[in-house]
Amino acid sequence: MTEFTTVTAPRLPSRERIVKWAPLLVLAFLILLFPVFEWLEDFRGGEDHFYLLDSRFFSIRNAARVAIAATPALMVALGVTFIIIMGSIDLSMEGTVSVTAVVFAFAFLAMGGTLAGHAWLAIPLALLVGAAIGFVNGVVHVKLRIPSFMASLAMGFVGTGLALLVTGGDRVRVEDEWFRSLLTVRWFSFPVMCYVALLALLAAWFIQSRTILGRNFYAIGGGEDLAKASGLNVERVRIMGFTLAGVFFALGALMAVGRIGIAETVTGKDFMFISITAVVVGGTALWGGIGGVWNTLVGVLIVNVINNGMVVIGLPSFLQDGVLGLLVIVAVVLSTNRKSISFVK
Amino acid sequence: MFERLKPHFPWITLFALAGIVGAANPSFFNPGGLALLVSDIVPLFIMALGMTFAIYIGGIDLSVQQIANMVTVIATVFLAPLGIGVAVVAIAAGLAFGAAAGFVTSRMYVPSFVSTLALGFVALSIAKWLSGQRALSMDAAMREESFAWMFGVTAGVPHEMVIAAALLAFAWFLQSRTRFGRALKAVGAGELAAVASGIGVDRVKIAAFAISGAFAAIAGLMFSVKLSGGDANLANGFLLLAIVAVLVGGTPLTGGVGGVLNTAVGTLIVMVIRAAMVYLEIDATQQQMVFGLVLIAAIALTIDRSKLRGVVK
Repeated sequence: MTEFTTVTAPRLPSRERIVKWAPLLVLAFLILLFPVFEWLEDFRGGEDHFYLLDSRFFSIRNAARVAIAATPALMVALGVTFIIIMGSIDLSMEGTVSVTAVVFAFAFLAMGGTLAGHAWLAIPLALLVGAAIGFVNGVVHVKLRIPSFMASLAMGFVGTGLALLVTGGDRVRVEDEWFRSLLTVRWFSFPVMCYVALLALLAAWFIQSRTILGRNFYAIGGGEDLAKASGLNVERVRIMGFTLAGVFFALGALMAVGRIGIAETVTGKDFMFISITAVVVGGTALWGGIGGVWNTLVGVLIVNVINNGMVVIGLPSFLQDGVLGLLVIVAVVLSTNRKSISFVK
Repeated sequence: MFERLKPHFPWITLFALAGIVGAANPSFFNPGGLALLVSDIVPLFIMALGMTFAIYIGGIDLSVQQIANMVTVIATVFLAPLGIGVAVVAIAAGLAFGAAAGFVTSRMYVPSFVSTLALGFVALSIAKWLSGQRALSMDAAMREESFAWMFGVTAGVPHEMVIAAALLAFAWFLQSRTRFGRALKAVGAGELAAVASGIGVDRVKIAAFAISGAFAAIAGLMFSVKLSGGDANLANGFLLLAIVAVLVGGTPLTGGVGGVLNTAVGTLIVMVIRAAMVYLEIDATQQQMVFGLVLIAAIALTIDRSKLRGVVK
C-alpha cells in the first residue's frame, strides 16, 4: 500500500510580508554594516578586532548616544505620523517646536527656575501652547479650505516669528539640575529622556490602535469620501489630529531643551525634513492609510543610525549629506510595495 | 460674477497689497526703487518658475536650493578655465539632478518629497567637496568678461528683468503651446487617466523635474555672478520662499491648476510683502511673524477652491 502524504512546500515569506518588515531589516542591516568598516580598518592596520565585540559603534555607550540624538526627532515624527496617516502633511513643526521651547523656557524661569518648585507648571503650559498652535493650524486648514501643506507651512513661519518676537533673538538657558536630569541621570546606561520618549511612544501607539480617534485617522487616510459618506465628522477629526500633533511637537521641544539646555528661535531648525524623511523611511506612506508609530520609531532610528555611523567610521564630513541622501532613497525603495501602488507624486 | 473673478484673485491680491504699501509710504512707487526690488527677486523667481513644473504635476522639488548652492560653487570654480562655457556645465548639472529625481520618483516609486530632498543632499555634498567647504570668490576679470552683460542696464531696464522675462516666455510657451505642456496638465489633473490615454507619464515627470533642476541651476548661476562667489550655503533660505511664491500665485499642490504666469504674480506678491516690512518700518523681530500671517491671508485669498477637486488634504 502506498500512503499518500501531502507534501507541503516550505512556506516562503510573501512579498507583502517582506515589505512590511523591510524597514526593520534595513535597520538591522545598517547596525551590522557599520562595524564591518571598523573591522576592515583594524584588519588593514593589523590590529586584533573581533567583529561586533570590539566595535565602538556596536556598544551600549553609542546606542545611548544614538537614542539621545533621536529622542526629540522621534517626538516630532510621532506627531506628524498621525497627520500623514490621514493623507495630509504638517510642516509647522519647526515653528511649533521653537515657540513652545521658548515659551517653556521663559515660563520655567519666571516660576522659579527649578522643577522642585512651581516651575513644573511650565511643562503642561508648553504642551498646551503646542496644542493651541496645532488647533489653529487645523482650523486654518479645514475651515479656510487651504491644503495642509500650505496652511502648516505658513503656520510654521508664524511660529518661528513668534519665537523670534518673544526672545528678540536671544538664547534662553535652562540650567535647572532637576530638569537637566532628563539628560544627566542615567538608568541602565540610557538617560531619563529616553524613557520619557518610550512612554510617549506607547501613548502614541495607544492612541493609534486603541482609540476611536486613531481608527478615524486610518479611515480618512484610506478614503476620505468613504469616511465622510459613512457619517464621520472628517473636519473634526482633522482638527483633533493637528492638535494632537502640536502636543507631540511640544514634547519634542521639551526634549530638545532638555538635551542642550538652551531654548532659542532656531531650536526647531531642521526638524521638518528629518522627521518627514524618517516617517517615510519607516514605511508610512505619504498618501495616507498605511504605517504607524512603530514604523516611525524604526524610521527615526534608521536616519539617526546612519548619521551616527558615518561619524563613527570617520566618513569625511562633506560626504555625509550625500551618503545620507542615497541611503534614504535605498531604504524607501526597499520598503515600498510596488505592486500595491500605481504611482506616486 | 464672483465665480468669474476667482481666477484673477492672485492679480487682485497683488495690486491690493501694492496699493496698501504705496498708500502708507508713497516712495514705494518710485520707479528706480521698484526696478531694484524686482531685479533683486529675479533669482528667486527663476527658481520658483522651475518649481512650478514640479508642483504643476502634483509633485514638489525640494532639491532646488541645494542645486543652486552646488551651481554657485561650480560657476566659481570653473569660471577661470571655461569662461562663459561654465553656464552650460551648470545648467547640465541642474538638468541631470532634476532628471535623476524624476527617475527616482517615477520609476522607483519614491515620493518626490523624499527623492528630491535626498538628491539635494547629494548636491550639497558635491558643493562641499568642490568648494573644500570654504567660501570662494570669482576671478574678477573673468567675471567681467563672461557675465557682465547679466547685470547691465539698457534704456533704464535692468538686464536681469529681461532675462527673467525671456525665461518666463520660454516656460509659458512650454506649458501652453506644446504637446509636452498638454501632457503636463494631463498628468497633474489625473495621473491614471493620463496613463490610460497613452501619455508616457514617466517621461513627462522626468522632464518636469529636469526643467525644475535646470531653472534652479540658472538661478544659482545668476546668484553666484551677482555676489561674485560661490559657497555650499550661499542660496540657503531660497527653498521655502520659492515654494511660497508658487503657492501664493495660485498653483496648488494638487496639480493641474495654475501655471508659470501665476508664479510670476506669486513672486511679486512675496516681493511686495517683504518690501512692505521695510517700507512700513516693521521691527526686525516681528517681520517673520507678520510674513507668516500675511501669507496665510494671501493664500486664503488667492487659492481657487472650485478647482481643488474633491477633498482638500
